[in-house]
Amino acid sequence: MTAPDRMRLGLPDLGIGVGLRLPHYEEIFETRPKVGWLEIISENFLVPGGVPLANLDRALAHYPVIQHGVSLSIGGTTPLDFDFLKNLRALLRRTKSPWVSDHLCWTGIATLNTHDLLPLPYTTDVVRHVAARARIVQDTLEVPLALENVSSYLTYTSSEMTEWDFFRAVVEEANCAVLLDVNNIYVSSQNHGFDPNVYVDAIPAERVVQIHLAGHTNYGDYIIDTHSGPVIDPVWDLYRRAIRRVGPVSTLIEWDEDIPPLATLLAEAERARIVREEALSHAK
Amino acid sequence: MRNDLASVQAFLASVIPGRAPIPDDPALAETAARFVTGNARLTPAAQVDIYRRQFWYRHREILNDDFPALARLLGEAKMDAFCRDFLDAHPPAHAPFRKMIEPVPSFAATWPGFETDAGRTFAADMARYEIAMLDVRAGADAPPLDPQKLAGLPEDAWERARIVLHPAARRLVFSYPVHRLRKAWLVAGEPAILPEAPSPAHIVLYRNRELVTHFEELEPEAFTLFGLLDEGVPLVPALGRLAEPLPEAQQQHVAAHVGRWFQQWTALGLVVDVDLPSSS
Ligand SMILES: [Fe+2]
Repeated sequence: MTAPDRMRLGLPDLGIGVGLRLPHYEEIFETRPKVGWLEIISENFLVPGGVPLANLDRALAHYPVIQHGVSLSIGGTTPLDFDFLKNLRALLRRTKSPWVSDHLCWTGIATLNTHDLLPLPYTTDVVRHVAARARIVQDTLEVPLALENVSSYLTYTSSEMTEWDFFRAVVEEANCAVLLDVNNIYVSSQNHGFDPNVYVDAIPAERVVQIHLAGHTNYGDYIIDTHSGPVIDPVWDLYRRAIRRVGPVSTLIEWDEDIPPLATLLAEAERARIVREEALSHAK
Repeated sequence: MRNDLASVQAFLASVIPGRAPIPDDPALAETAARFVTGNARLTPAAQVDIYRRQFWYRHREILNDDFPALARLLGEAKMDAFCRDFLDAHPPAHAPFRKMIEPVPSFAATWPGFETDAGRTFAADMARYEIAMLDVRAGADAPPLDPQKLAGLPEDAWERARIVLHPAARRLVFSYPVHRLRKAWLVAGEPAILPEAPSPAHIVLYRNRELVTHFEELEPEAFTLFGLLDEGVPLVPALGRLAEPLPEAQQQHVAAHVGRWFQQWTALGLVVDVDLPSSS
């Protein structure tokens, strides 16, 4: 068992948060619901000024804000975009986000950005490639980088190990943090036929600084990570299992498609709070 | 065939923007099977095809979100065709969506899907306007003009002073009044119909102090003056350059109205500073 002060790499537990999404801005700013923190998509705020940054400042006046990115492409084979990293670092100075997250994936090549989060082949070469880039990113941004596992809809013939062995190897070699998306584990486990519990149990517990919970869309032959709808029961079970392993870790409800009234999102956050409490008391 | 990371990515990036289902193309399906395993329910090509469909849905949504008036004008089926053709011609190469949509106006100006040149001109105007809406909303901030600064200016200052305009404001010239039509279609819910005849418009699109975006129609002379000031030409020389080519009657018109224009721009928050270079 890891010593408690080494958990979360020493980063704070912010409790339960929700993603800050446009349809909820006014209600959040006016009613200031009791949530522990807000997550923003960094790229939406990499603008010169105006409405987005004014809204961000309103959020920052009342909540801790954590930056979550979608375009780092840590597994890409084109050079890292240092202009992007510089802008990200400037935004980090504004938000004072104690860590910054993005996905363990690739998003495109020099001539095409898919704006999607594509999985990587799970090989030792790719571990080395990604870890080297993650170290550079972490040094450039000057805050811990948390890498998040993505949902995937394909697997590669070249993979030599399981996704969880790959994930562990990358974060250990890069010495970076983990954003554990338990919905993504569930989605990928259904798409590829593995036991999601084995995945949760294999994650280096002390590196987990944040957890994502979300809904998804089941198309029968495959499941897509749409961030739509409530969290389903098997995902709550995985969350309980994760919390028992990693302890009190900042947890976020992601809801990006068919965005519901704020009250529905807050009810989901409240459910996460209760589930987390219960899981923590059972872990003792 | 190499199976390293770059080869895997090059293959997927070559098929993800495609129009046709990957399983329908035997050659592509065969290549997919070299890189991707498939599973009991989905062939390798079917797995890759999920990403191809997601690519289309995602970018279609972005284009519809950023160009709602253009989408209303075209209707769903034609907007889909426009988006497909646009993505074929300009596949997104960069992460920021703002970069992806940059060529939409020039693409609309030549898109054969419009029946007439008028349709193309209109669509290009509307696309330019919709991009300007996004730019003004998230453009740079500037502290408001300090009224003391204007009051304290010496008489001769207008010869030398650079009038600083709000950095988020955009000047736009249109063949059609797309600014009014967009409002009528999207806010008032009027039917989106191409106007019968052009009707040129000069506008400044800006953000007020509450960060709400508005347009202001300007007379052509006022529009030219605004542009000269935006280039950093001080007021008096700018007025000289504006008046020079104008016939006598119009020169008098400018002289009679410039005070009101300037007051209006100040009141709207378009003038944010007056920069008086220290006389040497
Ligand atoms: Fe996530």
